[in-house]
Amino acid sequence: MSRRRLDEVDRAIVERLAHDARISNRQIAAELGVTEGTVRARVKRMEEERQIRITAVTNIDHVSDAALAYIWIEVERSHQISAVARHLATIPELGFVGEMLGRSDILAITMVRNTEHLTSFVHQNISGIPGVRRTESTLGVNFVKHDYRMARIVS
Amino acid sequence: MSPAFDTRDALSAPARMDATDQRIVDLLRENGRLPYRAIARELGVTEATVRSRVRRLEDDNLLRVVAVTDLEAAGYGMLLAVGVQVENRAPEAVARDIAGITEVFSVNVVVGAQDIEVLMVAEDQDALHHLLHERLARVDGVRRLTPALAVDVLKNQPDWVPFRESA
Repeated sequence: MSRRRLDEVDRAIVERLAHDARISNRQIAAELGVTEGTVRARVKRMEEERQIRITAVTNIDHVSDAALAYIWIEVERSHQISAVARHLATIPELGFVGEMLGRSDILAITMVRNTEHLTSFVHQNISGIPGVRRTESTLGVNFVKHDYRMARIVS
Repeated sequence: MSPAFDTRDALSAPARMDATDQRIVDLLRENGRLPYRAIARELGVTEATVRSRVRRLEDDNLLRVVAVTDLEAAGYGMLLAVGVQVENRAPEAVARDIAGITEVFSVNVVVGAQDIEVLMVAEDQDALHHLLHERLARVDGVRRLTPALAVDVLKNQPDWVPFRESA
């Protein structure tokens, strides 16, 4: 799980890429006073080692009926936590799956339309997973912040 | 993440994204630095078409191509989901103050036992202690914090996020 930390030059490059990753290597190189080859090699290495992911994000603010749902899952027996979490990670609609300490065993996050939609999603996709004892869901009403520059890069 | 419903319906309602836009976005999700030339070849359109469509989506604040940094590579060893109960203040106002903390990367006002759900990171246990008890707990209106520590994150793909002009 341990991943190499970014050094100063890496961080400077990532900072340039953070808000607009279509910026050219040449432009980054000129701004930082390094060669274009250095920028290219480091971006390639950071992507290969999964230190960064360059991707498109789309704006949820333009979708009127979308809310974030936090689904807390408790398992029957503690040894089932990892298996249930792995199962959850295969569900495409879930954007986050984490094994947790405190509050509950697993946290899963998804985007839904409303309470009815959340309820049916949980019943159809989560309640039936072997080992799931109970779930508790919370629906977001106002998505105040999400810093897309940070995430746990898994695959 | 792909939401649990087809967002294309919602997006296409004001005729903001057509099928070609959507395919461009899909390709950029897989590889944000894919050359416009390669996208054009894939979709059978000209490079100029791809370029102008991407620019329009960006100008309309619908799309951003960004670099996401891995939390651990950025030096953050711990990820927490913190429930916040609020008293004597509007949860929205408390949420906005909490959103000002750098280590807090997601803030949602929710309905239920908690008033706000926060996702945050910390470098180590000392930093975590300071963040929770000296920063978060001291935000005006915060009554109680109920944290949970992630010991393994199996998936984290927030492809759908809110962003405003300034973000």
